[in-house]
Amino acid sequence: MTYSIIARCPRTGRLGLGITTYSIAVGGRSEGVRANAGICKTQAFTNRCNDPIGVGLLEQGYTPAYAMRVLADNDPDHEFRQIAILDRDGNAVAHTGSGTRSWSGHRIGDGFVAFGNVLAGPQVVEAIADGFQAATDEPLEFRLLAALEAGRDAGGQVGGEGHLPERSAAIRVVALPDYPDVDVRVDLHPQAMTELRRVLEEFKQYEVFYRERGRNPREAVTQDEFVAQLEARRRAAQLPV
Amino acid sequence: MTYTVIGHCPRTGRVGIGIATFSITVGMYCNGVKSRTGVTISQAFVNQGNNALVLRLLEQGYKPDAVMAQLAANDPDHEYRQIGIIDREGRVAAHTGPKTRGWSGHKVGPGWLACGNGLVGPQVVEAIGDGFMAEPDADLEHRLLMGIEAGRDAGGQGTPQRHKTERSAALVVHSRYTYSDIDLRVDLHEAAIDELRRIWLEYKQYEAFYRERSRNPRDAVPQEVFVARLQPKTAEAVA
Repeated sequence: MTYSIIARCPRTGRLGLGITTYSIAVGGRSEGVRANAGICKTQAFTNRCNDPIGVGLLEQGYTPAYAMRVLADNDPDHEFRQIAILDRDGNAVAHTGSGTRSWSGHRIGDGFVAFGNVLAGPQVVEAIADGFQAATDEPLEFRLLAALEAGRDAGGQVGGEGHLPERSAAIRVVALPDYPDVDVRVDLHPQAMTELRRVLEEFKQYEVFYRERGRNPREAVTQDEFVAQLEARRRAAQLPV
Repeated sequence: MTYTVIGHCPRTGRVGIGIATFSITVGMYCNGVKSRTGVTISQAFVNQGNNALVLRLLEQGYKPDAVMAQLAANDPDHEYRQIGIIDREGRVAAHTGPKTRGWSGHKVGPGWLACGNGLVGPQVVEAIGDGFMAEPDADLEHRLLMGIEAGRDAGGQGTPQRHKTERSAALVVHSRYTYSDIDLRVDLHEAAIDELRRIWLEYKQYEAFYRERSRNPRDAVPQEVFVARLQPKTAEAVA
């Protein structure tokens, strides 16, 4: 009962994960996103040892295919895991174990993997892939968000008694530095995907201010001043403040 | 305008951070926690490169004071930063640069550090320390949350005339694995600390279920079934 996308932006080389699920605080379990290395993401019956091992292997220069073999050899319950691995060049592999709950599956595309389990059907991962490819000029974080939204709109997760709400969601994007470029989360919310868009859009308003304030503190305006400027711009554009 | 407690649990060796601020998505800056290594936070005018550098130096065996000296030497704007560092043995180093804004300062105790800037006054870091030390035998995440709640209740951020809302908050604890024990966030909310407590209380209900489902997938019940069992229990507790 999770659907996700891991992807590389071909324009910038940035790497990112978008994920949403019924489980709470899913963003707190995404250790496998590492700048200049790649992404390893395990879900379904998550083996939390996997992602640090997988991304560590990528960092050392091993291929995604080799990393997947190591994870398989290291885990007697590999058949219960769903794993996608993407390296910094966009090479990808995926594994959907036969013990994951139906419908589960993945689709590997050019520089991305869409994957999920306990879904309404294969149309969900197809929609995620289509959503990701719909606007290739957008920043990676918005492409990941659009992908997840398309997955939700195609039916999303379905448990024993019908549709399961998305209660948590996260987007993490890394560029060159060893701290994230974008890292936004919703940990417990009845409509986590809607809330994630709200948080991401708000974050994008502050992104440059937060980054520049840290890099050039001598010239930084106070956050009070920044918020006042933001509200003024919104009023001028007749947007809600 | 941020207040934070970082701590090392002497019973378990776990390390963690509790943080709240007016800025949004503060959890994004909490990447300075690492099992069997230590915990660090950089705030005020954040040098985002610091956390990864600190953890690498701690891993190599540098003591927190020596790590802080490296950060000072590496950053022409060190006086704009507020930084806390605790190593795996509970040794603490703290720095509140003179150029951080508002009332800013820190208080150091054995294995913990309370720090903040843009606060209503020194009573906030005092209260964070008292909150953190109120139940020294409790789980670290509980103590960290008690710390920031006490800081909020002592006035938190802003000026004595005007409190500033906590819009984001985070709670992160590592123990001895290559992944976090607890990693919870509120990124944008009008009462972020209350919301963080709500999420933490809910997460506690699921914690063992999530862990065991991963370790023993063959015996795991579906989450819908787990939740259905959980709900009567919650109703009972409310009654």
